[in-house]
Amino acid sequence: MEVSVGDVVMPGDSLKDIKSTKKEGKNERENVILGPGLRREGDKVYVCKAGILKRRDPAVYYVDSYQKRYIPSRGENVVGIVTQKSGDIYKVDVGASEQATLSYLAFEGATKKNRPDLQVGDVIYAKMLVASKDMEPELVCVDSQGKENELGVLSSDGMVFTCSLSLVRKLLNPECPLFRILGRNQAYELAAGMNGRIWIKARSVQETIAAANAILAAEYTVASEMQKLCARIEKTLLLVT
Amino acid sequence: MVEEDTEIDCVLRPMNCEINLLSRSDGSTMFMQGDTTIVAGINGPMEVKSQKMAYDKLSIEVTYTPLTGPAKVDDRLIETYIRESCESAILVSLHPNTMICINLQEVQDSGGLLACAINASCLALINSGLSMKFTIAAVSCMIEKETGKIIMDPDNTQLKNAKAEFTYAFDSINKDIVCCHSVGRFSQSEFLASVDKCKQVSQFIFDFYREITKKYANTV
Repeated sequence: MEVSVGDVVMPGDSLKDIKSTKKEGKNERENVILGPGLRREGDKVYVCKAGILKRRDPAVYYVDSYQKRYIPSRGENVVGIVTQKSGDIYKVDVGASEQATLSYLAFEGATKKNRPDLQVGDVIYAKMLVASKDMEPELVCVDSQGKENELGVLSSDGMVFTCSLSLVRKLLNPECPLFRILGRNQAYELAAGMNGRIWIKARSVQETIAAANAILAAEYTVASEMQKLCARIEKTLLLVT
Repeated sequence: MVEEDTEIDCVLRPMNCEINLLSRSDGSTMFMQGDTTIVAGINGPMEVKSQKMAYDKLSIEVTYTPLTGPAKVDDRLIETYIRESCESAILVSLHPNTMICINLQEVQDSGGLLACAINASCLALINSGLSMKFTIAAVSCMIEKETGKIIMDPDNTQLKNAKAEFTYAFDSINKDIVCCHSVGRFSQSEFLASVDKCKQVSQFIFDFYREITKKYANTV
């Protein structure tokens, strides 16, 4: 079946209209980028995931699908748990098919003598440096300038919980108001990994759990209802009278 | 999370499905075709034991659990059918050195169990978000002993006077046969006629998949 942008697509559907966008530019051809859920076979483009087909300017096509299992992809920020220390690398569980490696030199200010103090069981926020289907994924906790930015070890008095990958994508969308509304009446610190793990720390245990519940409830809440959702949670926490 | 009740023509028994009902699985479904019900759950892609590892493709493990007792020879046959048909549907080369587990639990059997199991595992695969070449739909049919008539999607009582029983699975692009299972004696022309009829009916199942996905995509 042929589908176009905005439709609900199934694996095996083929895309139409892709060629016509190529001609839109006067002389130069526009490059079409196929995102997740799409693949090219010969001169046809097939869908390989079920979801909603979306397009973003200039010509980026992708399928927005529901997923729970993380498949590593380069450049994404993830929340992981250190499971093993061996030699000069740490093994980190990020919820993918394989454990990721993290070099002890990949921290801000780390040298051969000055090792970072990481224990088994620590939660870290790191960036995927290498992610290919044939190789072990590799993480780093610094950017290309050698600075930490927001990456690194997350403090142990926070809480980590898992959710679906599509929820994380929804929350990290700049148009999603949840974090802003939630932050109006309570202070919290949060790290959302693209691997479906969220680390959160608020002022008290109650507030942490309440904020986590608000995030999980947001999966089936549209943006306009989020105000109501947060108000209800603040009421139960007695933050507002 | 999404409950669906669609009456699809009189040729197929009504289908019913609930998606994403297991919290620990990466993809799961409860699929009903008439009274035949199967719960399917998928885990993966995950780490694989070295003896089952394939360096160039995703390996698939299927576990089918019948309602009572341990799995028998017939159940192993269902596992093989599902593994082979899923392997053709999934883009196996995208995840080398990993495996997925498909777990199926029979809840009720009133005919057409194999077809129901294949459809349930396909819906679970769709839910898990694994990359697939196409979706597959399985249809069962039988040939009546006295009249020689082809009956689509028969239940247990109809199956008692069956001369032959078929189950076919088709892909969603060209409607080619992915898997075929037959029991009993039949002639070549009867076989071809039943393939033809099942192929037409399989479209209803593909439409059902799409409807389920549509309902689900709108809630998230």
